[in-house]
Amino acid sequence: MNKTDRQSPPPQVAPEVSGLQSGGTALGRYLALMALAGAPLVFLAKDPYWLNIIAFTYLMGGLAASWNIIGGFGGQFSLGHGVFFGIGAYVTAIATSRYGLSPWLVMVPAAVLAALVAMLISWPTFRLRGPFFAIATMAFNEVAFVLANHFDSFTGGPRGIMIPFKAGFANMIFRERWQYAVLMFVFVALVVGITVWLRRSRLGYYLLAVREDEDSARASGINVLSVKLQGMALSAFLTAIGGTLFTMYLRFIDPPTLFTLQDVGVKFALLSLIGGVGTIAGPLLGAALIVPFENFLRAELADALPGMNLAILGLLMVLAALFMKRGVVGAFEDLLRKIKGKKGGQ
Amino acid sequence: MSQALLQTRGASKHFMGLKAVDDVSLSVNKGEVVSIIGPNGAGKTTYFNLLTGQLAPTLGEVSLRGQTINALPPHERAKLGMGRTFQIVKPLIALSALENVMVGAFLQYARMADARDRAMAVLTRVGLGAHAKRRAGDLTLSERRRLEVARALALGPEIVLLDEVMAGLNQSETGRCIDLLRSLHEEDGLTFLIIEHNLKVVRAFSERVIVLDRGRLIAEGTAEDILSSPEVVKAYLGEGHQWTPS
Amino acid sequence: MDQLLNVLVIGLLLGGVYGLVSVGLNLIFGTVRIVNFAQGELVMFGMYGGYYAYNILGLSPYLSVFIVAPAVGLLGVLIQRLVIQPLHNESNMQIFATFGLLMLFQNIMLAFTRGEARSVGGDFGAQVIEMGDIKIGTVRLLTFVITTAITIGLHFWLTRTMVGKSVRAVTQDKRAARTVGINVEKTFLMTFGIGSALAGLAGVMLTPIYSITPGVGGNFILAAFAVVVLGGLGSVWGAYLGGLIVGVVEALAGYYIDPALRHAIWFLIFLVVLIIRPAGLLGQVGAEEVGFREQN
Repeated sequence: MNKTDRQSPPPQVAPEVSGLQSGGTALGRYLALMALAGAPLVFLAKDPYWLNIIAFTYLMGGLAASWNIIGGFGGQFSLGHGVFFGIGAYVTAIATSRYGLSPWLVMVPAAVLAALVAMLISWPTFRLRGPFFAIATMAFNEVAFVLANHFDSFTGGPRGIMIPFKAGFANMIFRERWQYAVLMFVFVALVVGITVWLRRSRLGYYLLAVREDEDSARASGINVLSVKLQGMALSAFLTAIGGTLFTMYLRFIDPPTLFTLQDVGVKFALLSLIGGVGTIAGPLLGAALIVPFENFLRAELADALPGMNLAILGLLMVLAALFMKRGVVGAFEDLLRKIKGKKGGQ
Repeated sequence: MSQALLQTRGASKHFMGLKAVDDVSLSVNKGEVVSIIGPNGAGKTTYFNLLTGQLAPTLGEVSLRGQTINALPPHERAKLGMGRTFQIVKPLIALSALENVMVGAFLQYARMADARDRAMAVLTRVGLGAHAKRRAGDLTLSERRRLEVARALALGPEIVLLDEVMAGLNQSETGRCIDLLRSLHEEDGLTFLIIEHNLKVVRAFSERVIVLDRGRLIAEGTAEDILSSPEVVKAYLGEGHQWTPS
Repeated sequence: MDQLLNVLVIGLLLGGVYGLVSVGLNLIFGTVRIVNFAQGELVMFGMYGGYYAYNILGLSPYLSVFIVAPAVGLLGVLIQRLVIQPLHNESNMQIFATFGLLMLFQNIMLAFTRGEARSVGGDFGAQVIEMGDIKIGTVRLLTFVITTAITIGLHFWLTRTMVGKSVRAVTQDKRAARTVGINVEKTFLMTFGIGSALAGLAGVMLTPIYSITPGVGGNFILAAFAVVVLGGLGSVWGAYLGGLIVGVVEALAGYYIDPALRHAIWFLIFLVVLIIRPAGLLGQVGAEEVGFREQN
C-alpha cells in the first residue's frame, strides 16, 4: 500500500468551525454567548463608571460585528464604515433636534439610506482588489468629513449638533445609565444574532466563497458583485443603527467625533481583528478586550502623553496582523484542534 | 447533424502584442471526452478562461448549444451547465467538505436542507462521503481534488472543464481519479473537456485529443494518432527526441 | 488671465511637492507591490528630522537631509524586514499592519510633541521670486528643481545600472527575476529603504514651507495615492507627470470652486483612473495588476 494512501483519520464530530450544527446547537451557543456578555451588566448595574464602559463595549461590539459581515465574512476590508455610522448619526440628530421626531421612527429609514449609499459607492469600488478597495473606502470617509463640515446649514458644520435632554422612552433618552446599557445590549444581541443566522444562510455561504476565491465562486454560479453589494448593504444598515444609538447616548455629534478614522471607522475593523475576523464571537470579544483597556489607557495617559492610547492600539494592530491573524477566537480554535488531534492519537 | 455542445470559432486572446490564444476552433459534442495537451505556456488555461468567461476573446466566438455566449459572465455560464475546476485548488478551507459543495448546490436547490442533501449525494459519488464533516483545510491533495470535482458536479452541469485535475497525484490516486471520471462519463453521461499533462491519463480516458502550441491548435485527432505523431513530440520535447510510447 | 497664470504656477509648484512625496511611494508600489499606509508618516518623520536638526544643530535642511533621509531609509528597511516580508502574500493583513504603523508613528509623535505644531524659521520659507505679476516661492521652486533632478536620477539608475535594472526586472516579473538569479527579498529591502529615504528627503525639503504636526502625513498620503495611480505604477516619469497634473487640478479647483474640496479631488482622480484606465498614464505594470489581481 502506498504511504500516501494511508487511512485518513476518522471523521471529526461536528468541528466547531462548521455552521452546519443543528439549529438547536447554534441557538444554544448564541444564548450562552449572550448570557456571558450580559453578565457584567447584571453584576455591575450599580456602578455608573462601569456601566458607561459596559454600554460602550456593547455598542462597539455591535458595530464591529456589523463591519464583520462584509469585512470578515465577505473579506472586503472597508475602512469607510464611518460614513454609514455618520449617516445614522446625522439623520437621527437632525430629525430629533430640528423636527422633534422620535429616534425610534427615524432609525430604520436612516439605516435604509445608509444601505442605499453603501451600495451606490461600493458598486464602482468593488472591482478594486484588497488594498485599493481599502484606500477608496478611506477616501470616502475623508470626503464625508469634508462634506459634513461644508454643508453646515444642514449638519451644523464644525459646531456639530446637540440634542437637548428630554428623558422618555419615545425620545430614546434615559435617566439611568443602566437603561442605555440595556439598549446597547439589545443592539449587539441583535447584530450577533443576525450574524448567526447569516452564517447558516445561503448569502452567508456565498460571502465566504467570495472571500476565499472570487474566480472559484463565479465558477459555482455566484454573482460576485451582487453578493458583495448585499453584504455591504446589510453591514451598512446595522452600522447606521449603531450610529443612531450612539447619537442618542452622547447627545452631541460633530464631524471629528464621527469621521476620525482611527477612532471610528478603523476601530470597527480593529476590534474584529483582535477578537477574530470572520468569526461570530470575535467582534464582541474584541470589544470586550479593547474598549475597557483603551478607556484605562486614555484615563491614565491622556494628560502626560496624548494619543498614546492610539499608539498602543496601532502597535497591537501590527502585532495582531503578524502573530494572531485569526484573533483570540482563532487562537482558541487552533488550541482546541490541537487538543482534539492529540486525543485522536496516531 | 446535431449541434455541438460547446464550440469556439477562431477564438483568440491577445495581450499587448502577445497572442496567448491564436485562432482556435474546436467543437465538443455531447457525451464526448476531449483532452487538450501542449507544452507549458501553450495557452491551455487561457483558452479555458475564454470558454468559462473569465476572459473575453479578442477575436472569435464562443458558443454553448449553438448560442453565442461571448458576453456572458462566468456565473451565468455556470448556470447554463458549464462546470469547471482550477489548476490550483482553492477550497473554502475553514468550512467542512459538505459546506464547500453546498455552495455549488445552492444553484439548483434554494433550501438549505435540499442543498445539503444534494451536496451529500455528490460527495458520496466522488467517494468523499465519509469526510463530509471534515474541515476542507485538513484534506489531503487527492481528497481536495475530488472535492474540487464535487463542487463542479454540484451545479448539475452538462459539460465539465477540468484543468490538470491529476497534477500532483501519485499513481494509485491517479488511477482512482480516472475511474471516477470514467464512471461519471459512462453512468451520468457527462461531457468532459480536460487539460492534461499526464499522457497516460490522456490515453486512458480521452476519445479525442487536441494539441495547442504557442496559442495555436497544431493537431487534432484520436488519442492514438496524436500521441504517436512526430509533430506533437517535437512541440513537447523539442527537436532530436525520440518518443517511445510505453 | 493673470490670475489663471498665477494659479497654474501655484499648481505646478504644488505638483512638484506631490511628485517628491510620491516618488518613493511609487517605487515601493511598483516593486514590492504593497500599499504602504504609513508612507505619509515617513514624510512626517523627515519633517521632524529636518526641524530638530535645524533647532538643535543649526543645520539647514539642505544639509541635514544627508543625515535624515538615510535614517528614515533605515527605518524603512526595518519595516520591510520585520513587518512586510512576513506578510508577503496576505494583502488584507498588510492593510492592518501598515495602518497600525500609521497609528503608532503618528501618535508617538503626538505624545512626544504634546500636539504643538512646529515650524522652521519663517523668513527663508517666505522668500519669493517675482516675475512680473507672478510670485514664485523660492523654496517651492527649489523643491520643483529637486523633484525633477531626483526623477532624472532615478530614471538613469533604473535604466543604466545593474542594480537598477534588477529592480525593474523584479517590478515586471518577480518569478522570472528569481529564475535569473536576482535575490528578490534583498531587492525588496533595498527598494523599501530607498522609497522610505525619498519620503524622508521630501519631508526635510518641505520643512520651510509646511507647519509640522504629527498628522501632517495624512495631508499627503491620499494625494500621493492619487498621483501614483494616475501616473501609473512603476513609472518614474509617470509619478512626476501625475504629480504635476494633480497639483494643477487641485489648484484650479481650489481657486474656482472651493479649497476644502481637495480630498474630494484626489479621491475622484483616484477612482476615475482606476475605473477607466487602470494602467494610468505611463504605467509599467498597471494598477490592474496590483489593484485587480493577486500577484503570487
